[in-house]
Amino acid sequence: MNNIYLPNSAIIKEVIDENEQIKTFVTVFRDEMFNRSFTYEPGQFMMVSIPGLGEAPISISSTPTRPGALHLSVRKAGSLTNAMHQLQAGDYLGLRGPYGRPFPLDIMGKDLLFVAGGIGLAPLCSVINYCLDQSGSHGKKIILYGSRRPSDIAFQSDITAWQKHSNVTCLLTVDQEEPGWSGSVGLVTSLLHNIDLNCDKSAALVCGPPVMIPPVLQQLKKNGFTDENIWTTMERYMKCGVGMCGHCHMEGEMVCVDGPVFNKAELNSLKLET
Amino acid sequence: MKTISKVLKKDHLKSLLRKLAKDRQLVAPVRNSYGDTLFTEIEALDGVEIDLDNQAQSSLKSFLFPQQQVLFEYSTDQGSAPVYKAIDSDGPTVFFGLRSCDLAAILYMDVIFLKEVKDPYYRQKRENNILISIGCNEPFSNCFCRQTKSGPFMEYGFDLQLTDLGDRFFVETGRAQGEEIIQQWAHFFSPASKEDEKAQYQMRLEAQGNFKRQVLVDLAIRKLKDDLVPEEVWSKLSSRCQDCGGCAYICPTCTCFTINDRKISTDSGERIRTWDACTFAGFTTMAGGHNPVDMKQNRMKRRFMHKLYYDVKSHNRTSCVGCGRCVDMCFGGVDIIKFINMVGQGEI
Ligand SMILES: Cc1cc2nc3c(=O)[nH]c(=O)nc-3n(C[C@H](O)[C@H](O)[C@H](O)COP(=O)(O)OP(=O)(O)OC[C@H]3O[C@@H](n4cnc5c(N)ncnc54)[C@H](O)[C@@H]3O)c2cc1C
Ligand code: SF4
Ligand code: FES
Repeated sequence: MNNIYLPNSAIIKEVIDENEQIKTFVTVFRDEMFNRSFTYEPGQFMMVSIPGLGEAPISISSTPTRPGALHLSVRKAGSLTNAMHQLQAGDYLGLRGPYGRPFPLDIMGKDLLFVAGGIGLAPLCSVINYCLDQSGSHGKKIILYGSRRPSDIAFQSDITAWQKHSNVTCLLTVDQEEPGWSGSVGLVTSLLHNIDLNCDKSAALVCGPPVMIPPVLQQLKKNGFTDENIWTTMERYMKCGVGMCGHCHMEGEMVCVDGPVFNKAELNSLKLET
Repeated sequence: MKTISKVLKKDHLKSLLRKLAKDRQLVAPVRNSYGDTLFTEIEALDGVEIDLDNQAQSSLKSFLFPQQQVLFEYSTDQGSAPVYKAIDSDGPTVFFGLRSCDLAAILYMDVIFLKEVKDPYYRQKRENNILISIGCNEPFSNCFCRQTKSGPFMEYGFDLQLTDLGDRFFVETGRAQGEEIIQQWAHFFSPASKEDEKAQYQMRLEAQGNFKRQVLVDLAIRKLKDDLVPEEVWSKLSSRCQDCGGCAYICPTCTCFTINDRKISTDSGERIRTWDACTFAGFTTMAGGHNPVDMKQNRMKRRFMHKLYYDVKSHNRTSCVGCGRCVDMCFGGVDIIKFINMVGQGEI
């Protein structure tokens, strides 16, 4: 019988230094047949492990429309993630998954507004590239991305590609300027003030640090987005990823299986402060 | 399925268990030399006192979901991929002498561990089990299974359910496997007479009235649902919680766990799953120290809400099975009966 706790070994093909804190690991499962058959949806995550150090949930930042390699973008947060940052191409990671409820596919064709901060762009990268790879998807995509400093801006190669894309508007902002920066300075909410979207026909996807979420959600409401059209991901401490261990419990929901993707209306019904 | 009714003389019990345990482990409530009654794995039945007069202090949880369990061993070798070797759980078991609440707790654990995604370790331990339960003619001092709808007798879930009729047990079958046992070991069983059936019916009826405590479970569920529990109830109870996790460990339906790695040498080790308690401070702490469920008060709330509200919402029944074990366990007196009655009587 399939043992859900056993990781599959994946080899790291490439390590991309996104910034001082974030590295993206381009990984391929060792078992080639498994690698070919492996699939997932934007918004899902993997339990990533290093033997002896344990596991952590990490969002998949690549898109299933570009099969072959799985991208995991990891911010240094503690013992495991620091150890991951020591790894190089040719090293191994243990992966199990994909887990969690993805972003709903039916919104992918709509006009979409993405609001991200820091590592929060990781799961949204998956959605954005997924949308852009769909032929026949001509919806407008607006991407607002906030970083601490210009040198902290992660996912540079994706951003460059998006900025060249005719359907995409990609705006960046930083908290603190650095020499040579000519873009905007300020919180990501400030970029929300003059957004040109028909809110009735679009959805907003928000992902970032806990402090960023409430002001963004408030501003989106002012912009005219309904709660059903505002999507975000919840972060909870996770151990199993499959709805058994209880750690990610949130007002009766298990974030690992009922989420991590939720819309604002769902969160309201859980009486959660957002 | 139509149940078959039989009678088993008490003198025949050990002989029957000996047969059933031939290719299975046997677990039953055993009174040890210290006077404790615990569910125990029995190697040899001779000289063992199976205790059906007292409630087992421990539950059966650890036999299906051990307090600590190695999930797999790993070894790493410079330059090659780590090797993971899963550890098998041990084989099938006869669980004898479980009470209705113990049985209900197993059925609840099945819901957690055997949903679309199956826990391989639990499944191995649960497969091919024989469950022989005994109804409670005289519920024990802290029992309230009638209010949690998990006793004193069960309608389903068992292979055989016994009713104590003095010198003999009345035996009902609940699953096909129970019928097979009765057929295979027919010489231990005799047909149930009309008197036996009447006696059993009478016992069941009287048992309903033999509870010593009045525990208003339905009322508490309603108040939780309507958000009518004053914050003071939580704060008052949590002020006496010592964060020991005892209630969760002793509880037959508390199944939260954590997973950690243990290094054995620089290049080998094991990944271990251990019971955890949602009342512990670190249970939800995320990297960076952000804790979405701060304060003891909220953690205690989560445990009671889970047992009496969330599980009612998602599984249509409480996950408290009314066994009363946490009442004896908690020296701060913040057990579930205390909570339910505080809520129900509006007493703060
Ligand atoms: C669905 C989901 C998706 C995610 N996606 C990403 C992503 O794409 N990229 C990314 O970088 N991060 C992501 N994260 C966050 C990431 O999982 C954490 O940063 C990571 O678990 C940190 O692990 P660590 O061992 O490095 O941290 P440590 O701080 O060393 O923590 C080790 C573990 O112990 C726990 N812990 C810490 N303090 C205590 C305590 N006092 N008591 C008990 N336990 C404690 C921590 O919660 C942690 O899991 C995601 C999280 C979730 C839930
Ligand atoms: S909460 Fe207490 S009474 Fe209810 S099942 Fe658990 S240990 Fe028994
Ligand atoms: S991580 Fe274990 S239940 Fe969600």
